[in-house]
Amino acid sequence: MNVVVAPMLAALGAILATLVTRSRPRLQHAASVLGGVAYAGAVAWAVRAAVLGAGAPGAVTYQLGNWPAPFGITLVLDGLSAFMLVVAAAVAVPAIAVSVRFVDRANQQVFYHPLFHLLVLGVTGAFLTGDLFNLFVWFEVMLMASFVFVAFYGNAQHTAAAFRYLVLNVVGSVTFLVAVGGLYATVGTLNMADMSRRLAEAGAYGIDPLPVTGLATLLLATFALKAGLVPFQFWVPGAYRAAPLPIAAMLAGATKKVGIYAIIRLYFTVFAGATVPLNLPVVAGTTPLALLAPVLLVMGVASVLMGGFGAVASPSMEELLAYSSIGQVGFIAVPVAIAAAADSAALRRVGLLAALVYALHHALAKGLLFLSAATVRGATGTNRFADLGGLGRQSPFLSSAVFVGFLSLIGIPPLSGFFGKFLVLDAVTSRAATGPGVGAVAVLVVLLVGALLTIVYASRAWVGGFWGARSERVRAATVDPVQVAVLVAVAALVVAVGLGFEPVAEFAGAAADAALDRGAYIEAVAPAGGESA
Amino acid sequence: MSSIIMRTTARVVVPIILVVAISLLLQGHNLPGGGFIGGVLTAAAFALVYVAYGLDYLEIGVLDRDVDPGAGPFDHRTVALYRRLIVLGLAIAVATGAAGLLFGVPFLTQTFVYVEGVPLYHEIELTSALVFDVGVYCVVVGAILSILSVVGAE
Repeated sequence: MNVVVAPMLAALGAILATLVTRSRPRLQHAASVLGGVAYAGAVAWAVRAAVLGAGAPGAVTYQLGNWPAPFGITLVLDGLSAFMLVVAAAVAVPAIAVSVRFVDRANQQVFYHPLFHLLVLGVTGAFLTGDLFNLFVWFEVMLMASFVFVAFYGNAQHTAAAFRYLVLNVVGSVTFLVAVGGLYATVGTLNMADMSRRLAEAGAYGIDPLPVTGLATLLLATFALKAGLVPFQFWVPGAYRAAPLPIAAMLAGATKKVGIYAIIRLYFTVFAGATVPLNLPVVAGTTPLALLAPVLLVMGVASVLMGGFGAVASPSMEELLAYSSIGQVGFIAVPVAIAAAADSAALRRVGLLAALVYALHHALAKGLLFLSAATVRGATGTNRFADLGGLGRQSPFLSSAVFVGFLSLIGIPPLSGFFGKFLVLDAVTSRAATGPGVGAVAVLVVLLVGALLTIVYASRAWVGGFWGARSERVRAATVDPVQVAVLVAVAALVVAVGLGFEPVAEFAGAAADAALDRGAYIEAVAPAGGESA
Repeated sequence: MSSIIMRTTARVVVPIILVVAISLLLQGHNLPGGGFIGGVLTAAAFALVYVAYGLDYLEIGVLDRDVDPGAGPFDHRTVALYRRLIVLGLAIAVATGAAGLLFGVPFLTQTFVYVEGVPLYHEIELTSALVFDVGVYCVVVGAILSILSVVGAE
């Protein structure tokens, strides 16, 4: 079924269209925005046909180049991939719409638009692929595009940030590649469904699954680096400050989620079936998940604290948002860790559901806020709280969109953030009710402190930028109405996700089920070619 | 920087590199080689010409055209050409991949046909993968050479 490859083709088409129209800026901008809309349309169509529509199969696969699995590259569109694609599309469309107005014309000419769609293509490929090495390739595609964006403005500070970003990510890529090679040597396949199947019956295939735990940890390090979890968070503030702000929205909203997605996909769909003798002091268990749980929990908890305190101390809006997104990714990582530690299928599902809903919420809210920061920067020329103030009176619409974004980040009902926080805390308390109490209660306390810090830094941004008397720069500012219209639309989406949460929860539930149902994933890909050949 | 030894060596070596590059490109679909490595070798040959004879040699010495010395590296005529080569290559590669969709087979599916009775060769294998490789080749040559010439000029 061609639906699976449709989002990729839309992104490829947008790259070509924006390259061909490069000499005519207006046409190129139109092509770029249209390309973004076409991408969202392709995602909607594919998701409807594969997962959500009446009589949809739930998971559709696609063999690139018609080479059969497990030899060729498989694309898999199941519930989890579909959910993440929707998240990416929801950020990409407003980001490109704001880009056209925000980034100045000369800079847009320097391959801004083709690279934007290349970034979208990389994210799409990473969500769709069912092949471990191919996942590495898509990571590189994303890195290529995002590296150029971090270095985009080209002065000393940006070059330094880009260099740091590049070195770190290349080290991450090497780690990834070593792990991929090791897994191939251990399991004898790179197709994720095939790997999952072989690991579950390791004896029958003559596989010793012991190295898988260590190799999986190497992968975890790479994915945590992508997601910006502590202790790999240090590239985040510099890179987000250096990149154009609409790209920062993409990096925080979409590419960070690729790290989270990869952790969920590989650990829960692929490695969960392996039985390995683990003798860990804290968590008992016989799968690589038992090691993931404590490690990811510590990372997530540390991220929540680190991001929260960093954001409280930030002098400018973009830095505040960058630190905040470290903390928010921590909120996504904690329920994933809870799911990994869970001993019942129900709790496992609750944990993943919470993580996915939170990921959607964070993509929308943080995307909205980064784009608002772009509008503020475009209007006033600065994002430092010291120079701002009184934007609420200057531009009520912009300010209400920002207000909605911050309220959602804090977790006020009925916005999307409320359900995100609620489900995360629900997962932790469910764990506390069943498992050993002290650890879970400590995690709960940290999350509440994190939530409190969110309130503190959100109020700080609000008071510093939007409340009170108008500053000199704000008085002279003219806010771009088109950007504000886009922001209001995204804010409306944040409200809509909260108000109509039922279908969103169902979709996220289907995604969590797809991540956990290893049998269905293997069946969809049907990598039986290895035996008959 | 460029000595007589360098220039003489370049004169001998460049054609050999180009021939090897083209042969790698042509056999790449079922033997070691392909668009990428062919493109890298071609770019290496051009880079050797740049090092030995200077950046404007292709314009002045080969194509016999004048060069506007005041223009920045981005406005250089060959650089604009390289950039167009990237777009062309990308279009070729994507079109080859998408062509399969028209025939109802997945994206990127390739096919081949044997043509018999060709003079000298007798039998020749025509593959769609070669077209894809040519696209890759164009992208690689265009990208490496535009980077080299812009960075070199700066």
